[in-house]
Amino acid sequence: MNELLELITQIEQNLAVSVRLWIPEICLVVTAIALLLQRMVFPAWRRGASFIMFVGSVAALAVLIWQVAGQSNAAGSVGAFLDVLRLDQLAAFLRGLILLFAVLFSVLTWLTHWPRIEDRGEFYVLFLGSVIGMCTMVAAENLLLVFLGMEMASLPSYILAGFEKRERRAGEAAMKFAVFGAAMAGVMLYGLSLLGGSLGSLDLPTMRANLTALASHRDLHGHGLSLILGTLMVVAGIGFKLSAVPFHFWLPDVFEGAAAEVGVFLSVISKAAALGLLTRLCLTLLGTDQASAAGLPGPLIPFVVGTLSLLAAVTCTYGNLAAYGQTNFKRLLGYSTIAHAGYLVMPVAAAVAALPVSQETARWAVASMLFYLVVYMFMNIVAFAGAAFLSRGAPGEKIENYSGLVRTAPGFVICLAITLFSLVGLPPLGGFAGKFAIFASLASAQLWALLVVAAVNTVFSLFYYVRVVKVMVLDPAAQSLSFSLPLSSPQGMFLVLTTAPVVLLGILWQPVFDLVCRAAGCQ
Amino acid sequence: MILAGILSPITVTHYLVVGIILFVCGIVCLVVKRNIIAMLIGVELILNGANINLVAFSSPQLFASGTAPLLLDGQVFALFVMILAAAEAAVALAIALQFYSRFGTVDVDQGGQLNG
Repeated sequence: MNELLELITQIEQNLAVSVRLWIPEICLVVTAIALLLQRMVFPAWRRGASFIMFVGSVAALAVLIWQVAGQSNAAGSVGAFLDVLRLDQLAAFLRGLILLFAVLFSVLTWLTHWPRIEDRGEFYVLFLGSVIGMCTMVAAENLLLVFLGMEMASLPSYILAGFEKRERRAGEAAMKFAVFGAAMAGVMLYGLSLLGGSLGSLDLPTMRANLTALASHRDLHGHGLSLILGTLMVVAGIGFKLSAVPFHFWLPDVFEGAAAEVGVFLSVISKAAALGLLTRLCLTLLGTDQASAAGLPGPLIPFVVGTLSLLAAVTCTYGNLAAYGQTNFKRLLGYSTIAHAGYLVMPVAAAVAALPVSQETARWAVASMLFYLVVYMFMNIVAFAGAAFLSRGAPGEKIENYSGLVRTAPGFVICLAITLFSLVGLPPLGGFAGKFAIFASLASAQLWALLVVAAVNTVFSLFYYVRVVKVMVLDPAAQSLSFSLPLSSPQGMFLVLTTAPVVLLGILWQPVFDLVCRAAGCQ
Repeated sequence: MILAGILSPITVTHYLVVGIILFVCGIVCLVVKRNIIAMLIGVELILNGANINLVAFSSPQLFASGTAPLLLDGQVFALFVMILAAAEAAVALAIALQFYSRFGTVDVDQGGQLNG
């Protein structure tokens, strides 16, 4: 009974602080409710859904920025809701990135006139539900919240994949996505139950402490099998969200079948959230114990580094090689997304590898991952926005349909070409700065084999991105092509505004790099 | 020998064996069946296999030491999993219904417009 009273007092003390820090997500919940009510209360206000969505996501982002700007570095790490959520600088940065994407996404759907006005309310509600799940994922410090966040992020995305009801392929894509997604979530849950059971807690720092105790008592063998199985199953579940090979098979189908707007959502923040979760799991479970300040002995760190490196290398190579034969532009972008998932897992492997040697190197590796994530977000928004505008205006989604596009829409093609070159990683664009940071982190963690794989892959990827640009610029114009998109139109301005960071991050990376270093906790 | 096995007290290992059997049944169901409904049943089996693990890890009677690794946390987790499984089934069945109305079948191989 006394324990219960103690718990209640603890909750009371913790609740006010926790709720205040969780206001951005509460803003999103309020927005979702307002979207649902708007149809009933003001049915005549046809633009209402887009407007409410935009205002709500901007408010959430503004509150988050105001909160982060107001707190000092030392007070940055707070355990909210009885320590099930760890709201530190890393979580704040990733939540900011996710909310910034939500703002840009609401503008993008406004400009592409998709989905139809009547369906827009539901579309945004599902999107917001997924965004709240992702914000939970990047902050979760308890296995229950890890699973809850994953499911909250996944369930609405199955529906979003099949949102285009008249499109046959969308139905098939949604069905594949839902069945494989549910299966992988189940596998991950089984892994979580094994890890939680053998480490005696669901709370990550406590699990970390118990892991040290097990390792120092040479008791690891009794739990070795369940730890290894659990780790592999959890990596499989996160790998599905990241579309890492061999869990990638849903992604090209979903990207081809679903609308390009859903593609950008799945390729950017879904990955950002999964990477944030992977980073937190690795760094908390394998990093230095906060209580005893001891490193982790035993073979676990090499095992995790090996698994993640293999995953990253195979994913990257497969994505780049499979992209060669693609004729559909959205499908090509799907394979490009798989390849980039590989590049983004590499610094996480580097961070884990550096943990026993130097905390600082590990933090730099995380910072390089976050920096590339920022560049990657803008690159993919431009590429998918381009695909969305094209799929509404041009005759078909095949790359050959776009031949000679530069003659009717020069500004549009220039923006798209800049982005595709940046996806390859050519200087002086943002993609080069991001790739350079990742390669540097691999070198400082001494993962030479992975560095070679990454470098070779960059060369591979050159050809298929450049092929798209070549078709659009050098090939003779197709007869039926009447697509034009002047940069002075709202759509053109959106493209210019999102291409600008891609270029700027390649020249003036310092402000953003300071930001990611602060998020990763580098000195 | 068999009698001794039957009469020995039930420990957490027995429950874990039941859990892994359910898990493997679920995986086999997913791999073998081509019917969406049957595949969803496989998913439910996987989730319930994990749930048995969680509840077993939170039951102090099953451990010789008299205390369990997860205690109440594991039971709360299991409850959440049940709710999420229901939500997941609702979403997946709605998608299956839409698939049926478009293709006239719930066989996943009959879609065939996309080749992943």
